[in-house]
Amino acid sequence: MFSRTQLRALAAGVTTLLSLASLLWQRHERPGRGRLLHTHGREHVMLDAAHTLNRGAGLLAFSVAADSAMEHYRGDFQNRAMYTPLVTSVLSLVISGQGQQDPRAGNNPLRNAVYVGTIGTGLAGTAFHLYNIGKRPGRLSWSNLFYAAPVGAPSALVLSGVLGYFSERLRGETQDFIPRIFGLPVGQSVGLMAAAGLLGTALEAGLLHFRGAFQNPAMYIPVSAPPLAAGLLVATVAAGPAYGRLRWLSRLVLRFTAVMGLAGAGFHALGIARNHGGWRNWRQNLQAGPPLPAPPSFTGLAFAGLAAHTLLEDGRELAP
Amino acid sequence: MSAELYLEALETPRARGGRAPDVFSPTGWVPMREYPLDEPVDFAIVGTGAGGGTLAAKLAEAGFSVVAFDAGAWWRPLSEFASDEEHQQKLFWTDERVCSGDNPLVLGTNNSGKAVGGSTVHYAMVSLRFRPEWFRSRSLLGYGVDWPIDWQDMWHYYREVEQVLGISGPVRYPWGPKRPRYPYRQHELNASALALARACEAQGIDWTSTPLATLSAPRDQAPPCVYRGFCVTGCSTNAKQSVLNTWLPRALKGGAEVRDLAMVGRIETGPDGLASGVHYHRDGSWHFQRARHVVVAGYAIETPRLLLNSACPRYPDGLANSSGLVGKNLMVHSNQAAWGLVDDEIRWYKGPPSLAISEHWNYCDDNKDFFGGYAFMSQGPLPAAWAETQVGNRGLWGQALVDEMEKYNHQVGLKIVGETLPQERNRVSLADERDAYGLPIARVSYSFCDNDLRLINHAMRFLRGGLEGIDAREIWSETEGTAHLMGTARMGDDPRTSVVNADCRSWDIRNLWICDGSVFPTSGGVNPSLTIQAIACRTADRIGDMARRGEL
Ligand SMILES: Cc1cc2nc3c(=O)[nH]c(=O)nc-3n(C[C@H](O)[C@H](O)[C@H](O)COP(=O)(O)OP(=O)(O)OC[C@H]3O[C@@H](n4cnc5c(N)ncnc54)[C@H](O)[C@@H]3O)c2cc1C
Ligand code: SF4
Repeated sequence: MFSRTQLRALAAGVTTLLSLASLLWQRHERPGRGRLLHTHGREHVMLDAAHTLNRGAGLLAFSVAADSAMEHYRGDFQNRAMYTPLVTSVLSLVISGQGQQDPRAGNNPLRNAVYVGTIGTGLAGTAFHLYNIGKRPGRLSWSNLFYAAPVGAPSALVLSGVLGYFSERLRGETQDFIPRIFGLPVGQSVGLMAAAGLLGTALEAGLLHFRGAFQNPAMYIPVSAPPLAAGLLVATVAAGPAYGRLRWLSRLVLRFTAVMGLAGAGFHALGIARNHGGWRNWRQNLQAGPPLPAPPSFTGLAFAGLAAHTLLEDGRELAP
Repeated sequence: MSAELYLEALETPRARGGRAPDVFSPTGWVPMREYPLDEPVDFAIVGTGAGGGTLAAKLAEAGFSVVAFDAGAWWRPLSEFASDEEHQQKLFWTDERVCSGDNPLVLGTNNSGKAVGGSTVHYAMVSLRFRPEWFRSRSLLGYGVDWPIDWQDMWHYYREVEQVLGISGPVRYPWGPKRPRYPYRQHELNASALALARACEAQGIDWTSTPLATLSAPRDQAPPCVYRGFCVTGCSTNAKQSVLNTWLPRALKGGAEVRDLAMVGRIETGPDGLASGVHYHRDGSWHFQRARHVVVAGYAIETPRLLLNSACPRYPDGLANSSGLVGKNLMVHSNQAAWGLVDDEIRWYKGPPSLAISEHWNYCDDNKDFFGGYAFMSQGPLPAAWAETQVGNRGLWGQALVDEMEKYNHQVGLKIVGETLPQERNRVSLADERDAYGLPIARVSYSFCDNDLRLINHAMRFLRGGLEGIDAREIWSETEGTAHLMGTARMGDDPRTSVVNADCRSWDIRNLWICDGSVFPTSGGVNPSLTIQAIACRTADRIGDMARRGEL
């Protein structure tokens, strides 16, 4: 259906388009942000960032809901616990939607509880998947990493919860000094968290794309752009307020990662088409092919990274 | 579609009028070049399986004019391969043969195919490399004979074939020298394979997922495997990478012509003693294709049969037979199994039959009371094949058979591919009976030697131990059974003790070549198709070199 030359051309074309899209987005957003800062005041910066984090948390929760529903359905929901991620991620999705619409500052105990529950479920899921692998012959072998319960998948739930938890912390902060989360100024801690999430998710994509033998060159994009975005984000956090160009580049690559997450779903749709029977056989191929809802996790995390930028900018304004 | 439509390919030749069936479409065609009969082509190749099909592609791509013949039909897997064990017998070579010896071979399903693409159309896709020492088994291990090819040379060509077939294999292979990464990753293990893994862990030996010629991710026009397990009856998705959907499309693109339903009955030799072309039967009559070179690649029974059937006053004992070895040293692989029952649901029909393997006894020489080695693999016989195993080996019938079949979904099994030694008494010769074309049919005589039996005993003890180690019940041994065919036109360094040289060129007639499983001097404890294809790639490169130097 697709020769290797065609796939190479497709990958190159899509990379170019993604770059253009992120550049356009960056241009378009730039003036707005500064104005926001001055006209609406500090509280709104926090709220704005909190909303962005809600959006990220929601996207991640959506990924997990769809993905775990499909994968656990495939596994016949053999164990009752396999319903848990589905329930929690849907809750996280709903609450994130609500949070994003909610114009009020000040945190909300219900949202907070759901987000903390989401983190807990994600951690339990990771432990459960690890335990499952430990039971299989070969233990921590490639075969089990590829095909047994995926170790990385529940972490997306943890990340969704963490983004949400952070958004609640931001809403709580209205005073006129730089708020802190986990001992770090808020911009920095959101930035580091987003970077860690991007790296972890890229690692998982790397593992699964390696399993797919990188048969389509586009499969290299999600293992290279997100780590680059993470690296630039960490550098931005470390470099402090001075380096404008670095910030610009970091935001650009985050935007690239965000659009890439959406394009990734398109590539996965193509992957499904290349399974036997293609989309006509969607009942089987949605399961057998690459997971359609997985790539938007990157978008969610990139949003968190962009929120970190907003907060870092704000920190700069406040810095003496 | 009616049953007749599914068999249409057997009725009249399809590859003609400048086109051939497109194996990647249910009904389509691809263009094919055609050559006239009366002008000699560079190469006439008899057989389009692992040896012939590979060679046809490589020679055509190197710029030679090539016509390849196959007695079998040109199928389109997507529309003509049924999920029906009985129906798919259409892929097997079931022409009459006379079998004798202490262990008369059962030919057909498990060892020879008749189709464009050869036996690879219904092979189990296990794609293994020889252990390096086997190429010098006489000098290094004390049995059999040495090959005239160096192992490193072969490993170079193994690599080429693995790339072409997109082999899905483990990230790290536990045995032998380090090998380059397989182009595709290993498949998910089914429960049957996990049982092998547990059995190996219980016995304290290594195991791994089997390198297989079926895709674990999409590739060009082929989808990844769907794990429905109909592999040995013909894969209807094209996930299986057979000669039919890898080398032959390349051959056509390179300008080769492939004639289906074309049975070659005789190789003609001219007054100069050289081969001048082949007589073949197609469309109800005999034709003669002139050729500068003739390659025989009909597999280890039909190849010697054709060479013997081509006897003429100048070569009264058959072609390429001055050593008297054509047809001798026929080898098989012993293919015994231990079977058992477990509580867990296994459903071994899911996925390719042999997803896990241990080559431990190919690479470990400790405490062996026999020469050679064996691999063993997890199993997944389809229901009819399993019923046949019960009837054939245990004589179960009626209610007893029904009761046994009830256990099908809980059955596990380990089966060997065991090396057998070359023996001159195991041979292919001509019988008095004639086939539908009026050609003398093959007489195939086969007997295990003591060493072969010691190997089998060792294997059965070990495999039963493995099944006991995973608490299987009702364990029993299948002691009959062979797979694969090799030998009968062995390669070597000395015209007195071999039929062809390392380049597959016959010692006696310099424009007659043999390129298939027949040329193996020893059998090794692994399935042969990867090695056959590697030899064909090497032969094609050597022919190219010789042509450039004017040595053809
Ligand atoms: C059920 C089964 C499972 C197998 N599984 C494996 C496996 O997992 N791994 C592995 O490595 N090997 C496997 N094999 C073995 C492998 O398929 C063969 O060893 C290999 O295909 C032999 O290659 P070849 O070129 O010598 O002959 P073939 O591939 O058999 O090709 C010979 C072709 O020549 C044609 N032919 C013969 N005589 C004439 C004539 N006179 N005129 C015209 N055409 C003629 C035949 O029709 C046939 O198509 C399996 C075989 C079978 C049957
Ligand atoms: S299990 Fe895979 S290789 Fe075997 S027949 Fe099905 S798709 Fe083909």
